[in-house]
Amino acid sequence: MSELKTGTFSVSDLENVQINIGSIVGAIEKTAAEEGEVGPTIKPNISGLRDWDYKLFERYNPVYTPMCDQCCYCTFGTCDLTGNKEGACGINMEGHNAREFMLRVITGASAHSGHGRHLLHHLIDKYGADYPLKVGQTNIIAPNVQMVTGKKPETLGDLEDSLSYVEEQLVQLLACVHMGQEGEAIDFESKAMHGGMLDHVGMEVSDIAQISCLEMPKADEEPPLSEIGMGTIDSEKPVLLVIGHNVAGVTDIIDYMEDNDLTENMELCGLCCTALDMTRYRTEGGDVPKAKVVGTLAKELKMIRSGVPDVIVVDEQCVRADVLREARELMMPVITTNDKIMYGLPDRSEDDVEDIIDDLKSGRDDGALILDFEKLGEVAPRLTKEMSKIRKEKGVVSLPTEEEFNELTSRCVHCLACELECPTNLPISDAMTAAEEGDLRPFEILHDKCVACGRCEQACPKDIPVLNVIEKASQKVIREERGKVRVGRGQISDPEIREEGVNLVMGTTPGIIAMVGCSNYPDGTKDLYRIADEMLRRNYIVLMSGCSAMDLGMYQNDDGETLYEKYPAKFQKGNLINVGSCVSNSHITAAAIKVAAIFAQRNITGNYEEIADYVLNRVGAVGVAWGAYSQKASSIGTGCNRLGIPVILGPHGSKYRRALIGKPYEEDKWKVLDARNGKTMDIPAAPEFLLTTAETIDEMMPMLAKNCIRPSDNNMGRMIKLTHYIELSEKYLGIIPDDWYRFVRSETDLPLARREELLKKLEQEHGWEIDWNKKKIISGPTSKLDVSAQPTNVERLCKEA
Amino acid sequence: MADVSKNLKVYTTYGPKSAKGTKPAIVAKMIEKAKRPLFVVGSDVLEEKLLACAQTIAKKGIPVAATGHSIKGFIDEEGVDAKYINIHSLGTFLCDPKWDGLDDNGCYDLIILLGHKKYYINQVLSGLKNFSDLKTINIGRHYTQNATMSFGNTTPEVHLEALDELIDNL
Ligand code: SF4
Ligand code: SF4
Ligand code: SF4
Repeated sequence: MSELKTGTFSVSDLENVQINIGSIVGAIEKTAAEEGEVGPTIKPNISGLRDWDYKLFERYNPVYTPMCDQCCYCTFGTCDLTGNKEGACGINMEGHNAREFMLRVITGASAHSGHGRHLLHHLIDKYGADYPLKVGQTNIIAPNVQMVTGKKPETLGDLEDSLSYVEEQLVQLLACVHMGQEGEAIDFESKAMHGGMLDHVGMEVSDIAQISCLEMPKADEEPPLSEIGMGTIDSEKPVLLVIGHNVAGVTDIIDYMEDNDLTENMELCGLCCTALDMTRYRTEGGDVPKAKVVGTLAKELKMIRSGVPDVIVVDEQCVRADVLREARELMMPVITTNDKIMYGLPDRSEDDVEDIIDDLKSGRDDGALILDFEKLGEVAPRLTKEMSKIRKEKGVVSLPTEEEFNELTSRCVHCLACELECPTNLPISDAMTAAEEGDLRPFEILHDKCVACGRCEQACPKDIPVLNVIEKASQKVIREERGKVRVGRGQISDPEIREEGVNLVMGTTPGIIAMVGCSNYPDGTKDLYRIADEMLRRNYIVLMSGCSAMDLGMYQNDDGETLYEKYPAKFQKGNLINVGSCVSNSHITAAAIKVAAIFAQRNITGNYEEIADYVLNRVGAVGVAWGAYSQKASSIGTGCNRLGIPVILGPHGSKYRRALIGKPYEEDKWKVLDARNGKTMDIPAAPEFLLTTAETIDEMMPMLAKNCIRPSDNNMGRMIKLTHYIELSEKYLGIIPDDWYRFVRSETDLPLARREELLKKLEQEHGWEIDWNKKKIISGPTSKLDVSAQPTNVERLCKEA
Repeated sequence: MADVSKNLKVYTTYGPKSAKGTKPAIVAKMIEKAKRPLFVVGSDVLEEKLLACAQTIAKKGIPVAATGHSIKGFIDEEGVDAKYINIHSLGTFLCDPKWDGLDDNGCYDLIILLGHKKYYINQVLSGLKNFSDLKTINIGRHYTQNATMSFGNTTPEVHLEALDELIDNL
């Protein structure tokens, strides 16, 4: 048996010869290596980037806020770990919580890469493994893939190998959850970081595959706008509602509707990321989106209870577990299309279309599992038309009538049980009283804050369907829920990075604010609008994705414009971009990687640590996941963290039970090396954390500005960033921040208009020496200004002194 | 007398150790006895009547850690020593014996909390319960099981009454 290492060979006229091709992966690796420099960590295993993680944890302390003080993982237990006690296997509270956090991260990463695998199978089946990847104007098609796996994929088939790597690593990580084994929290932490990194690879594979095949916008600087909101749905027409994250099957529905002239006569609308991806389907080049977006997971139960949809199609991920039970009550057949959600329904994939439609419209079955997308494409729209007629004839209504509404509000005995069980303790009882007196406003306010979880209804001793009451009372505001969301554009192009990279690294573009994640906001959806509007007016680049991208489009300013209409969508200061759905979050990390690759000419191939170090020290970006609730949000955030991007969560985010917080008073932790000579440089405490929470939007505004500050800022950049930090703190907290002076390296870092005032403060309050003739600082600053310094945390990247 | 120590109902439990229900007079006594108390005030305190109570408590000479954007309610208030800090950071620093406090005078021995979202403060308190020996008392309107002691669930009216009683006893 001979083995061929490289090169080509041809075979002809062979008989009875077995040819085994183990893998051609090695050849690709070889190509990557031949084409350029390769870093030290191609396809790192669990311990491959442990040193880098440890560096991060030295400054950013894992902070645990357990949600359950017990462990019940194995039958040795249940063990009480309160007060950091050890369980029967020897693990303590810290270790167990780190393990739980890791489990959350790999659950999220698995959701994305499972999605990616399903999509990739489907697309390779349909388009072939040789189908070329096309993501727009770029030489780096897959920055996360290239940085982590060392591969430069060019075809759909090339992506399989990266996904196999992710899958293998996820299995290894899951194995670590088994009882016993790992004893130290810090190594579970490093494993969580590994899972977060893998997540961005999995997401990138998913998104570039669909962008390439499904004619989605490709790094488009002005993608079209799509309609969003419950108020945009015409309930007179038959309504087909799609819920989930995987657009594969829905594209067949859209195609069937177009081929059969159904588009005008029917409403096709979606909830969650499938909705966003439907609007991306075949809109490359600016075509009109072929579906409408209803909104996020927080709208799922509201939309079903509205009684408007005639048929519901679900795929995977953030889909309520009770869709079938809820829909059954309202005669809405449910079609499941993915083996992640089957709801106990009969598999009709092999059955005749007419039979399936008959069984569903006659009510013989509540729903069907259809894994054949071509069949799904035909059944769903045809059934919707039929069900619309049937449901109208039968007069199916869901929300209470006026009379029923009055009866329900007067039935309330104000026991407050619902409020105790409501995840945000919303004031339901007072709203009931107000409604009884004819004032619906308190319920309208509740409607915006309510995430439609239905827990209140489970608690009510009087069996009041509280959510239906809220929704009935809010009909007027629901009709007005009509907005616009920009269709997801995918990657940031190379020319854009080339132009903007320098501004980001020098700080003259004050930073990137990436608003991602789900819709469990502490104070309603308008929060997102407030954050984005404030930061855009201050010239930050605001990137959106997923549910946050949707909710941002729900609000208009006084001129009736959404922010998507008000601000342009290029990758440059003061612009607002929607990258796309959940899996498009990989383009946010990709943008940071590309700044290192294109602006700084760093090798990214298999070179994770160097790139993460670059991002941590030079790219002023902060992630905001204000309403994060899913495990996917924890893996997305953790992937950002390993790459050196800090993330702020809303108060519900504390329920992830783990943060990464620095201690500004530990002065020895706030130092970097200068790569030119290996000398240590003091830096101020920013980013101050890698993962934390904020209590309110008002508190978060100055946190955003401060945590975009980086050691690489030049004085113009630092001046701009410091100006925003001080101004935002004054505007939202009413104070000059205590630590503002720590960011001053020289008088040129001071906000221009307030230089004299601030110099005085430095002299009087902090004892700095000032030369008042020249208006110069003589002594005081702890960090020095040196614009050519090369800040790094990695010793091996330093030249000898 | 406002009886706020009774309704200790919870939606879900965190584990075997839960806060004791407490009364205003007892809280007042504990504050008097403490060497380094810290009054941690959240953004929900900015409602008019609650803020007045919080300011009065602060004026009794207890240093204030103003979390969220609650500092807005304490600027220019004479006799109030208030500093802004993020509650998640505060929870972290309080578990660190090396932290010197907001005023560099050392760590605290009693934490009194008011004006936070229940689900949020309960998480922060879970960190303190598991990783520090600090005594924590929540005098907010909702029972928080992860404090050492907590008022029970009350209506806004009874809650204000209880705070008045606490102030009278200080
Ligand atoms: S895994 Fe350890 S701590 Fe958990 S139940 Fe088993 S023995 Fe107890
Ligand atoms: S459905 Fe709305 S009001 Fe009811 S418990 Fe959930 S969030 Fe609260
Ligand atoms: S649980 Fe029911 S009866 Fe009690 S306050 Fe809520 S709605 Fe009213």
